[in-house]
Amino acid sequence: MFVSKDNYMFEMIRTELADAVGADFVNTGDSDKFGHSIDYYWIPEMWHDRGMPTPKPDFVVHPGSAEEVAKVMKIANQYKIPVVTWGGGSGSQGGALPIAGGIILDTKRMNRVLAIDEESLTVTAETGIIMRQLEWAVNKRGYSTMHLPASIACATIGGFLAHRGTGVLSTKWGKIEDMVMSLEVVTPTGEIINTLPVPRHASGPDLTMMFLGSEGTLGVITKVCLKIHPKPEERQFRAYLFKDFHTAMSAGADLMRSRLRPCAVRLYDETETLTHVKKVFGIDIGSGAYLVFGFDGNKDIVELQMKYAREIMEGKYKGTDLGSKGGDLWWKNKYKFFYPGYMFHLPQAFGTLDTVADFAHIEKVYWAMKKVVNEKFPKARFIGHFSHWYEWGCMLYARFIFEGRDVPQDPREAAALYNAVWDAAIRAAIENGGVINEHHGVGLKLGRYMKDLYKNSFPILEGIKNTLDPNHIMNPGKMGL
Amino acid sequence: MNIDNFVEDVKKCRFCFMCRHLSGVANVSFRESDTPRIRSSMVWGVVLDRLKLSNPDFIETIYSSDMSAACRFHCVNKWDENGIVLAARRDIVEAGFAPVEVSKLAKKFAAIPAAPKFSGKAELLYYVDADTAALATESAAFEKLAKAAGVKFAVATEGDCGKALKVLGYAEDAKKKLAEFVEALNASGAKKIVVSSPYVYDALVNDVAEDGLKLSAKVMHVSEFAATAKIKYAKKAGSVYYLESDYLKNYNDNLKFPRALLAKIKAKSPQEFTTDIQETPIEFMFGTNNEESYTCGEGAVVLNVIRPGLVRKMAKYVESKADDVKNDVVIVASPYTKIQLAKNTKLNVFTLAEIAAQCL
Repeated sequence: MFVSKDNYMFEMIRTELADAVGADFVNTGDSDKFGHSIDYYWIPEMWHDRGMPTPKPDFVVHPGSAEEVAKVMKIANQYKIPVVTWGGGSGSQGGALPIAGGIILDTKRMNRVLAIDEESLTVTAETGIIMRQLEWAVNKRGYSTMHLPASIACATIGGFLAHRGTGVLSTKWGKIEDMVMSLEVVTPTGEIINTLPVPRHASGPDLTMMFLGSEGTLGVITKVCLKIHPKPEERQFRAYLFKDFHTAMSAGADLMRSRLRPCAVRLYDETETLTHVKKVFGIDIGSGAYLVFGFDGNKDIVELQMKYAREIMEGKYKGTDLGSKGGDLWWKNKYKFFYPGYMFHLPQAFGTLDTVADFAHIEKVYWAMKKVVNEKFPKARFIGHFSHWYEWGCMLYARFIFEGRDVPQDPREAAALYNAVWDAAIRAAIENGGVINEHHGVGLKLGRYMKDLYKNSFPILEGIKNTLDPNHIMNPGKMGL
Repeated sequence: MNIDNFVEDVKKCRFCFMCRHLSGVANVSFRESDTPRIRSSMVWGVVLDRLKLSNPDFIETIYSSDMSAACRFHCVNKWDENGIVLAARRDIVEAGFAPVEVSKLAKKFAAIPAAPKFSGKAELLYYVDADTAALATESAAFEKLAKAAGVKFAVATEGDCGKALKVLGYAEDAKKKLAEFVEALNASGAKKIVVSSPYVYDALVNDVAEDGLKLSAKVMHVSEFAATAKIKYAKKAGSVYYLESDYLKNYNDNLKFPRALLAKIKAKSPQEFTTDIQETPIEFMFGTNNEESYTCGEGAVVLNVIRPGLVRKMAKYVESKADDVKNDVVIVASPYTKIQLAKNTKLNVFTLAEIAAQCL
């Protein structure tokens, strides 16, 4: 607790917050505080599962505009109260957990679609809108943001901006940072600023990029202008089975080096092909590594690209063609894995060791992580797929899973085991040229590796933080800042 | 405790976000605690520590659920967060912690005799529940439709099927009510029962089966009657938006008959658009999707009584999704929803029966 509820200062601060955002939008009840104490990070879930108390905020505020956010920031600075911005609360890294109490600034009341510009093909929206609602709104006008991640139903657009999110069509349409035109941001000291209106310019360093991925440590993103795209005439998928993961990786890398423009590429290692593909897609394709890819756009261009892609798969790499059905099943079931019953679940302990690297390093990263997890934690299962492919490399979506019987009942021991796996795997990834991470963000979970990752450039990040947030009230304890 | 029967659902829902966008209450309250995930997490807290059942904030949150079951309909494995809330309400009531507004309302319902009054005997019986009675145009519309179909019918009025008591957590009282209600319907000799309120339809289909009762008549929602009876519709309905019913769609998977009726009266779907992430039919879609509940709490039957401010916000939310508030024609399945929208918005709202009757 920042101040006890019995302390009159609690009421003084609540009064000021209510004056800023309206009394109905300042909540201090047990349900509200509890609701903001658990995100999608395994540690708080496990902590709650074992009946342990989770760190809670003192106030939950729901500002309705950037101006109200600015007022909250000024109050927080006055009293040096921590402020943690909360969108959908679906982060897996503990980035929105109020570990030092204080104010949760829930953005979901700022949920309006402000404009759809059909000349420039952009949409401007407040950042508290749930992504699925935003996508539906532009769909209605015949467009798509092309940002279709598994968390689309629960995360806000602000959450994706704050964590540099990625959707399933990232290979062609980009990560969220490739989709942004400009931002409105409320700084930690309560100023409302706008970044430059277009993303390509030669007017100095890019402030938009500085705020993207800052995870609420440098300010609150309150408005975004995003690119939108006409719905493609055609989208086709095709899947192949390769004899092993290395062959499939080589085929996938060749596809990217060919400079064809797939909208999605996904490769499952042998273990995940056996488990995931059968369980989620309902098809038994035998052993090997499953690779699926797709193209979208005008029908004739899609078909031509598909022809060349098939030549890559079937020629040198001798992939077994699973046909368009094998690919369509992936597209149809792209979110299914994340529903309970398919997703890993307590009492299991599990984590996604999201790492990105270029093609020269990605296999080394995979093998290094797999080796260290298998050797140091023989009871853990290691699986992986490669799910966001770019011209230069791809993202490794590696996972470790302990069955419930192998997870200590004592929550402290369970947390220690969990953190030990992360320490070993992430350090192995960094040592082999991997970057943590591609789209989940850093948060609380990975903050301790930021100095290892950034090495002697980390003080620059610290300097930016000190300049923008002199009282260090913004999301303290996250991102290693 | 009743929640112990839902521990598996609690374990599945407590850390799942996949239906977050369909939280009808959270979409207007913005409170994380009004999502299926957090309600389930809080119930897990009670499973571990029974004393938490008496926490006033927990109780307030549990009774603020709209019980639309949109989450269950959406869920690929049909985990039942709605069932969790219902079980928690039963536990709250059985432990004597029911909030004042809830216990007051329950007493009111308990005092209503279960058996309805019948206007006469006929093979077809039209039941006018309290919500339908509050919307005079609804039963008038049914009368016109039945006349057009050349069907003789009797009317049952008053009585109570126990659904409100059930959703408030008074399970045993609700069970008794329903048994008496069904007994009276069986005694009426009706072979078909038509209802306008989807909650009554659900009580006579699902609750009857759950309680091991037997209803001798076939139950139809008025939309099924109007779509399947031999009725000649002379006029076209024009362009309409249809708001799904919680009880028809989410509880009974009944997407078919409302659409069949709209097709029969030649209603035009105003705008159809495709999306990569749509799981329900797009015809007559209101707003941007057919997955969210726009019923203002139909699933909770009496949410307008125990949480009037919340229902007002839900109605305003629906209004904010309209393409053209003044000119859109919005069709709903339940008298409850029509009453809430008519009271709190400027939308032009008609029930399925009303629009069908207008097309005769």
